[in-house]
Amino acid sequence: MREVIRLDQVSLSRRTQEELSYDLKKTLLSLVTGQYRKPLKKLVLDNINLTVKAGEKIGIIGANGSGKSTLLKIICGILQPTSGSVRVRGEIAPLIELGAGFDPKLAVIDNIILYGVMLGFSRQEMKERARLILEFAELEDYALVPVKGLSSGMVARLGFAIATDVQPDILILDEVFAVGDESFKHKCQQRMQKFWQDHATILVVSHDLNFISNSCRKGICLEKGKLKNEGDVEEVVKFYLKSVG
Amino acid sequence: MIDRIKNNSKFFQLQRYWELLYVLVERNLKVRYRGSFLGVYWSLLNPLLMTGLYTAIFGSTFSSYYNNSIIDYVLAAFTGLVVIHFFSGATNQALVSLVENGVLLNKIKLPMIIFPVSMVGANVFQFCLGMLPVLVIVTLVNSRSLINLVALLIPLLSLTLVCTGIGLVVSALYVFFRDLPYFYELITFVLWMSSPVFYPADIVPPAVQKFLILNPLLPIIESIRQISISGALPDIILMAQAIITSLIILVLGWICFRSWQDQFMDLL
Repeated sequence: MREVIRLDQVSLSRRTQEELSYDLKKTLLSLVTGQYRKPLKKLVLDNINLTVKAGEKIGIIGANGSGKSTLLKIICGILQPTSGSVRVRGEIAPLIELGAGFDPKLAVIDNIILYGVMLGFSRQEMKERARLILEFAELEDYALVPVKGLSSGMVARLGFAIATDVQPDILILDEVFAVGDESFKHKCQQRMQKFWQDHATILVVSHDLNFISNSCRKGICLEKGKLKNEGDVEEVVKFYLKSVG
Repeated sequence: MIDRIKNNSKFFQLQRYWELLYVLVERNLKVRYRGSFLGVYWSLLNPLLMTGLYTAIFGSTFSSYYNNSIIDYVLAAFTGLVVIHFFSGATNQALVSLVENGVLLNKIKLPMIIFPVSMVGANVFQFCLGMLPVLVIVTLVNSRSLINLVALLIPLLSLTLVCTGIGLVVSALYVFFRDLPYFYELITFVLWMSSPVFYPADIVPPAVQKFLILNPLLPIIESIRQISISGALPDIILMAQAIITSLIILVLGWICFRSWQDQFMDLL
């Protein structure tokens, strides 16, 4: 099978946000008084090697802060590795936290186009798709309403409808599954199942271990930025459960 | 280091930038003037009001520097204010643009440069509907020449480039220094006071005038005034000064942005 993602000795160190000294006044003062020190960096991913073949469904598990989401960001190209190399073949679609990118003051229809263009579609394409997206989200009557006028469930529905209205080669899921009320949840599940049956490559981050072992064949387990275990999903889940005690 | 095989042609990338820029500018304008097209004309209110105020206070004192004509003073003050107003509007909005979209940048891979650029773009659009017609009328009435009208594009283009260059730098710096707006307000105030907007440049002592040349808006204001108020044919040297200064600032801004952008994601 074709190899679609390859990470070679990928390490990433990032500035820790907790220092919060990004303040011009303080920086200038500390430069004058000679107390300036270089911002601290923390190793968040440590020498990760990973290859993913076309059509594989991979579950990523690990404790909070173990680098799961960071790993997905590296694969999406949002973050650049400090060392090592990342190769990705094909279109990646991040199924991002629902509604993260909406502008609350902008009408629903404008948000659909804005969002779609940011995900890599053309405006023309999005104008054509907009109707289907509204239909799926059951928001046809709200096309011209600003997003801040929607309920939170509706926003989540809209986010799901846009993000899944794509035919990516690689789908990235970070803790987002069924949203909305019961009838909509059912629709979400159907659409997700379609992704699973198609030949898309899927990477999932979740704390729902049942979901991971039911829907993925392969698993990887991260701990403090290191890849601790990789292989059959049942084994990896067992490993993870044992490691957390 | 990231290697994307598919869809990586230069043309595709340019097209994607253009589409992104288009939707972001559209978003800025739609949010600003929700539904009311006339909203654009509110942007005229500030410079017109200020022109009236300056004329009322300084007009009679300074008119001797403007061929003893109050009208000339009004036009000089107005053109200066148009430039300053555009500059502070565009750069202040560009300043916050990266940080405001930080959540988005953490979710989708986007070229970061489009956020400050789209802010300048939205202001250019607003300018074209609001100020530009006024400037065009002033130019045509004073010069009665189409050459001047076309030449007006050069200092206006320079203004856009200066705003883009500065906008790139301040939006990048704001990622690192969140108290920057406070300092930047001071800087725009200094730029404003040091541009001969409401006073004639001649009243400034020669020793101080040397420093005023450092103001990147000065050649732009002078060139616009020369083209649209003096009635003479466009002065090529003033135009060249304006465009060269602006290109230098744009390139510097772009280099700063490019060299810092790898560090943005850690702080957004």
